[in-house]
Amino acid sequence: MATTASFIIVSRNDIPIYEAEVGSATKREDAAQLHQFVLHAALDIVQDLAWTTSAMFLKNIDRFNDLVVSVYVTAGHTRLMLLHDSRNDDGIKSFFQEVHELYIKVNFLQLGCSVHVLVFHLSIVEKN
Amino acid sequence: MEEYPEELRTPPVTLISLVGCPELHALISSHLHSEQPPINTLALPDFSKISVIFSDKSSDGKAASASDPSSPTPGILKRDWLLKHRTKVPAVLAALFNSEQISGDPAQWIQVCTDLENLRNVIRPKNIKLVVVVVVPATFFASSNDDLISEDRMAALRKRAELDAKHIVFFNSGDELQLKESLNKLGSTFAELATTYYREEGRRIKTRVEKKNFSSIELNIRNCFKVAVHAEFRRDWVEALRFYEDAYHLLRQMVSTSTRLPVIQRLVEIKIVAEQLHFKISTLLLHGGKIADAIAWFRKHNASYRNLVGPPGVVFMHWEWMSRQFLVFAELLETSSKAIQSISGPASNTAEKLTEWEFQPAYYYQLAANYLKEKRNALELAQQSEEAAGGIDGSAESVAPSVYVGQFSRLLEQENVLAMQPLTDEEYTRYSIAEGKRFQDSFEIIALLKKSHESFSGIKAKRMGSLCAFQMAKEYYTVADFTNAKQLLDDVASLYRSEGWVTLLWEALGYVRECARRAGMVKEFVEYSLEMAALPVSSDTSVQSFDSKDCGPAGPPSLAQRENIHKEVFSLVSGEVGSVSIGDNLDLQTACNGPLHLEIDLVSPLRVVLLASVAFHEQIIKPGVPALITVSLLSQLPMNVDIDQLELQFNQSECNFIIMNSQRPASTDGRQGRRVERAPSLSLVTHKWLRLTYEVQSELSGKLECIYVVAKMRSLLTICCRAESPASMDDLPLWRFEDRVQTFPTKDPALAFSGQKAAQVEEADPQVDLVLGATGPALVEECFLVPVTVTSKGHSVFSGELKVNLVDVKGGGLFSPREVEPLSSDSSHHVQLLGVSSTDTEDDPQVASSKIMKIQQSFGLVSVPFLKDGESWSCKLEIKWNRPKPIMLFVSLGYFPDVNELSSQKVHVHKSLQIEGKTGIVISHQFMLPFHQYPLLLSKQSPSLPMNEASVLVVSTKNCSEVPLELQSMSIDMDDDHERLYTLQHGGGGAEDMLGISHLMPGAEFRKVFTIVPEVESSSLVLGSVALRWRRKSETQEACVLTKYKLPDVNIELPPLVVRQECPPYAILGDPFAYVLRIKNQTKLLQEVKFSLGDAQSFVLAGSHTDSTFILPKSEHVVSYKIVPLCSGMQQLPRVTVTSVRYSAAFQPSVAASTVFVFPSKPHFQIAAAADAENKELEPVATE
Repeated sequence: MATTASFIIVSRNDIPIYEAEVGSATKREDAAQLHQFVLHAALDIVQDLAWTTSAMFLKNIDRFNDLVVSVYVTAGHTRLMLLHDSRNDDGIKSFFQEVHELYIKVNFLQLGCSVHVLVFHLSIVEKN
Repeated sequence: MEEYPEELRTPPVTLISLVGCPELHALISSHLHSEQPPINTLALPDFSKISVIFSDKSSDGKAASASDPSSPTPGILKRDWLLKHRTKVPAVLAALFNSEQISGDPAQWIQVCTDLENLRNVIRPKNIKLVVVVVVPATFFASSNDDLISEDRMAALRKRAELDAKHIVFFNSGDELQLKESLNKLGSTFAELATTYYREEGRRIKTRVEKKNFSSIELNIRNCFKVAVHAEFRRDWVEALRFYEDAYHLLRQMVSTSTRLPVIQRLVEIKIVAEQLHFKISTLLLHGGKIADAIAWFRKHNASYRNLVGPPGVVFMHWEWMSRQFLVFAELLETSSKAIQSISGPASNTAEKLTEWEFQPAYYYQLAANYLKEKRNALELAQQSEEAAGGIDGSAESVAPSVYVGQFSRLLEQENVLAMQPLTDEEYTRYSIAEGKRFQDSFEIIALLKKSHESFSGIKAKRMGSLCAFQMAKEYYTVADFTNAKQLLDDVASLYRSEGWVTLLWEALGYVRECARRAGMVKEFVEYSLEMAALPVSSDTSVQSFDSKDCGPAGPPSLAQRENIHKEVFSLVSGEVGSVSIGDNLDLQTACNGPLHLEIDLVSPLRVVLLASVAFHEQIIKPGVPALITVSLLSQLPMNVDIDQLELQFNQSECNFIIMNSQRPASTDGRQGRRVERAPSLSLVTHKWLRLTYEVQSELSGKLECIYVVAKMRSLLTICCRAESPASMDDLPLWRFEDRVQTFPTKDPALAFSGQKAAQVEEADPQVDLVLGATGPALVEECFLVPVTVTSKGHSVFSGELKVNLVDVKGGGLFSPREVEPLSSDSSHHVQLLGVSSTDTEDDPQVASSKIMKIQQSFGLVSVPFLKDGESWSCKLEIKWNRPKPIMLFVSLGYFPDVNELSSQKVHVHKSLQIEGKTGIVISHQFMLPFHQYPLLLSKQSPSLPMNEASVLVVSTKNCSEVPLELQSMSIDMDDDHERLYTLQHGGGGAEDMLGISHLMPGAEFRKVFTIVPEVESSSLVLGSVALRWRRKSETQEACVLTKYKLPDVNIELPPLVVRQECPPYAILGDPFAYVLRIKNQTKLLQEVKFSLGDAQSFVLAGSHTDSTFILPKSEHVVSYKIVPLCSGMQQLPRVTVTSVRYSAAFQPSVAASTVFVFPSKPHFQIAAAADAENKELEPVATE
């Protein structure tokens, strides 16, 4: 997958419900903040785009220096957003699909219970 | 974009030159300028000037070109080349001669030839095209110009000028039409020749490019540029674009190959030339409507130069250059999208997908601002190192742009001659740093971001807009404009807060907190600090935080940082000095000496700091009985907080109480007369509810609500927190998705779901009886009495008030305004409260006069006199029904059990009673004619009565109620404004209408017969109304009720004919009897009457069956039959039909009237003779 990436799940009412710095790049706290600014601003584009297409996977909707933002919009309008720098569209798409599946499973088991969140987190880190 | 020279910003315009005949220059140049495409004109008044201008420049050009092959090219593009070709080198030279000069004497002709020769010498090296314009005098009107100048002279002119005939143009300004033709001719000739010129020039250079016969890559680029410019001159945009692109690509290759200049200056030159080429390319693409291509091109441009940062000392130049690229492209995009209006969608053919933002100028403005910020940072570094190296000398002052684009050199003045001296990189760097100091980058950055912010807000991209606003605020913060920064940050923070982006909120709050600190706003500083300390930021300590410049003043979001902020703010409010690094701002410390009061309401972001939930254990509490209340406090602050004192404030202020922390020294201020409780510990632990249960007691009935929980911490901080009910408490929005254990504010989970911060305090139980004694249903129109008795049983009654309400049982009002009642239009209520009569007749008149009594139609207020314990008082409510309707009577008694009204509380007793209203009396009437008498009434109106004849009116009254009634009298009264126009006789005998006492049992009927003899003829005779006086039959003498019944108006007319039928009351079988019809003519006319008699099976009759006769005026005709009955029993007499011919009216007696009973034999009555005799006199009453 991507060499450096910031992953965030945004609920239907625009609240981030999960965030993670994934990938092999050096973890820098300030970079995480910067990434969040980029991802938050990209929500503006998503809200316009999401209603114009039936596709769930919206690739490269925004750019920030070398990084691009890809989004996966679920049917419930939860948005899985990834800031990444590689061009591996297929890999990102399959990552999104797997996370979506996982998200549905965890949701089913009621997100909020710490065990499930932990499982979720570990699974996502594993996917990278 | 404004800083570019104009010749670069605008597309090239063809230039031509005019020589001679200066009076025409203005006319021709204005015409050419308005042509499409326009042509600029360089006007030279006479031929002597031409050599000066051209010779100078051409020799210079020759010198430059001569030096080309031998020495290396000193630069890529000449700074003034483009300007020269737009303003000084014309494509066409037009020599204007008067026709007299050509056709005139030899001396003039020779002058013309000389001028032409000179011109040709000047323009030949530059291939400028020549046009000779022969100006025809205005007075010349010949049809052909050939007449003006001889053929020979024209041929000579052509030869001298070496021109085709078509390039010798006659200019005739004789009249308007000719002038216009001449101007058009000139325009088209110029345009054609100019295109030829530029094409030839372009081709000449292009050949050079294609043959690659030049020594350096610089020349190659320059030639490509020239070809492109020439192509632009002749509006060949495709070729222009192609050659600009070629030049651009060649230039990019130069970066690694060129060694001509020192490394910094080389890079600067390349970038500036690239910038110009890119500008040209973008402009051409955008003007061609290829927005997507332009954006893709910009992206490539950005990508290929972004990493060409250059040596470390001059990085700022690179960022400045980058910023300018974005700014210029944003401006280009803005102007072109305004011109094109509709932005074409992302082009599908571009290799990489363009994002939506890349079509927005705001995106580029924002990035321009970002790069400018980079530039500022780099410049600061460069300045520091420069100062450290020994300061800046004054040598930068004489540096100026050199002849070539992107090059700088030192100006040296030697013996009044300016000379250019190349710079070393060090000198150039110093010059650039000195130049960079002159600009206030922050204001530029703010302006760019503001533009971007407004633009993004305009397209409803609020998040992008707030990102810009945030960056703007950071910039304001940098220049210490804290007011503006705080204003922007507050907006930004509220967006992040509402969307729950905690990390971003942390950043924003970090800045705004610093703003508050610097501006000395203590309260705000404390609020922001507390909010930050309570944010659910990542507590992942494994991530090593870098103290990077990208981090805000609050540092990276972490638990440690939260704890630092927590400690800082609490040491500030506790007045400790020196423990935290707030000492750098004296204002904050001095301002913090006073107490600090924070308010937290339901929407405050500080709810995370302190959340107060208050629950009464019981929803309804008795007055004076202690009730349990639980106060729960929750804080998300990272460290434990000790509360000194907690005050609960209720809407009933006497219930307020204070909870003191036993571990803290008690202070006595501000709690005089308050209840004080002590708690062993008031320590708030993170994420854990602090639960306190106390008793509260209220004496006043009504709502008891806890409004505020005021927590006092340390010496200065007071937090006033609005109390919330656990049942309706919202979750903390930012902590909702956090991984924490869900806890309840109360120990009892049921209370946590249903607890309320308010409870209802009941009233004291009343000790007074209120009795409504009403018997049976009420009757319409009677004054129904409802006795009300108030009996004291334990309480004395002070200031008692009795409220009476009548309410419709079925809902809706007691009156309907739609129903218009003529009789009682003033009182439209169906049920009315007439009054209240007190039975207590022994009342002191003074007391009685002080009574309050308000009576309205459905509402009454009666004051109750003072009653001691055991006394009673009663009154009667008088209610009248106008319509049968059930109502609900509500009576409520409010009183004070104590003489002191202020201290005691009012007690209420309520009683209600449903009362039916029923119709008691129903009156009906009936008109009847006298026996066997039939007047002919001509009108169809009903009811109609004959004039001067006696008619019978039967009025019947029925008791519909369930109680016996007494009838007092019945009469027919006239209304006040009507006169009685008939004679009235009572059937009961005489004019006496009193009935004596006549009892009417339930369901029984009473009838009275009146005889009416109308005396006038009228279409509507008013009969008046029946007035019936009645009352309930009871022991007590109740008042009479008068019920009125309106009789209908009747039609009175004089019948023309009256038929009387005479026959015996009974017949005997076989015994003949007479059947007589008397027809009376009451008119003054002769009346023809036909009559016929039908056959009847039971009778044999003698007399004519049909006949007609004439009746004289005012006389009577008698038709007589003799009839013998053949059957016994009730028999139908033969039917008689009388027809009046004049009135076409037939008359037939009714079946009932023409029936007779036939005895089989003569009856023998065994009754006493006296009775017989009476019987004979008895008038049989027939009922129809």
